[in-house]
Amino acid sequence: MSLNIYGQTLNNRLLIGSALYPSPEVMRQAILASGSQVVTLSLKRQNPLAQSGEKIWRYIQETVEKNHGFLLPNTAGCKSAKEAITLAKMSRELFQTDWIKLEVIGDDYNLQPDPIELLNATEQLLADGFKVLPYCTDDLVICQRLYALGCQVIMPWASPIGTGKGLMNPYNLASIRQRLPEATLILDAGIGKPSDACIAMEMGFDGVLLNSAIALADNPALMAKAFATAVSAGESAYIAGTMPERQTAHPSTPTLDTPFWHQPEHS
Amino acid sequence: MKIYINGEAFELPDTSELRCLDIVLAKALPINQQQQSFALALNGDFIGREDYQNTAVSENDSIDVLFPIVGG
Repeated sequence: MSLNIYGQTLNNRLLIGSALYPSPEVMRQAILASGSQVVTLSLKRQNPLAQSGEKIWRYIQETVEKNHGFLLPNTAGCKSAKEAITLAKMSRELFQTDWIKLEVIGDDYNLQPDPIELLNATEQLLADGFKVLPYCTDDLVICQRLYALGCQVIMPWASPIGTGKGLMNPYNLASIRQRLPEATLILDAGIGKPSDACIAMEMGFDGVLLNSAIALADNPALMAKAFATAVSAGESAYIAGTMPERQTAHPSTPTLDTPFWHQPEHS
Repeated sequence: MKIYINGEAFELPDTSELRCLDIVLAKALPINQQQQSFALALNGDFIGREDYQNTAVSENDSIDVLFPIVGG
């Protein structure tokens, strides 16, 4: 099934980052193995030690084009609406896209998004024609506010960025899915294992965005493939409809015509 | 005239021609950076490339020049 992001149809529900890979070539192999059509990147002051500049950008762009995909600039590192809006405008000019993964961080310890600044930035960016993909906590009310402002896509975290802790609060995430049935929900950040991604998709999330779990794997390309398979399996499971949980055991095999030694004794 | 580019101080001759953003960039940015794609903010506000020529730079202004980088 396809995924719609602000009118663009994608055939893949796994979105991935381009950071932390041991080399550009390993990154390229992982992106291609994932089949992902949305790859995040950013803007920073130039650091000669970082993978930055014209070359790495073109390399990412070429790789994304092979998957018929799109670049998704982010505002990582911003701590206020003003900073995020400025960076979004810079990204729009440079990357020629209205899409912006909006991050406004409120706490340095766990890199938790600042909900107030996030809402302020979202409102202004939407008014300026941006297609905002806000990264937020798993707070139902914040997600509702973002949707009410006009975000078609909302990206609550699974757990803090880079922790790999998986889904910290499944109840919160299930509530967001239930209360915002029309929103495109993409689980972003904190995913550690393919099973985490599969669980999110089984819950009815529309997609999963991750970076570290693939980039920091011993074999990133193989892990990218594992995540692609997990996302696909979770999506199929959601569409198929999982059985209800039961409190008591029920035999799977019919008891009728069971062998004589299990039949009640006749008097 | 003292200005800051990415946090580093630069002393530029205080002539009127040097007050245009495009000329300041040409004087202050290393050649290899001038040849790359970048986006710019002046005192925290985005300035579009088409406005470099008609944007004035003043004493103690802060210019942020940002380049593409990998991201998650």
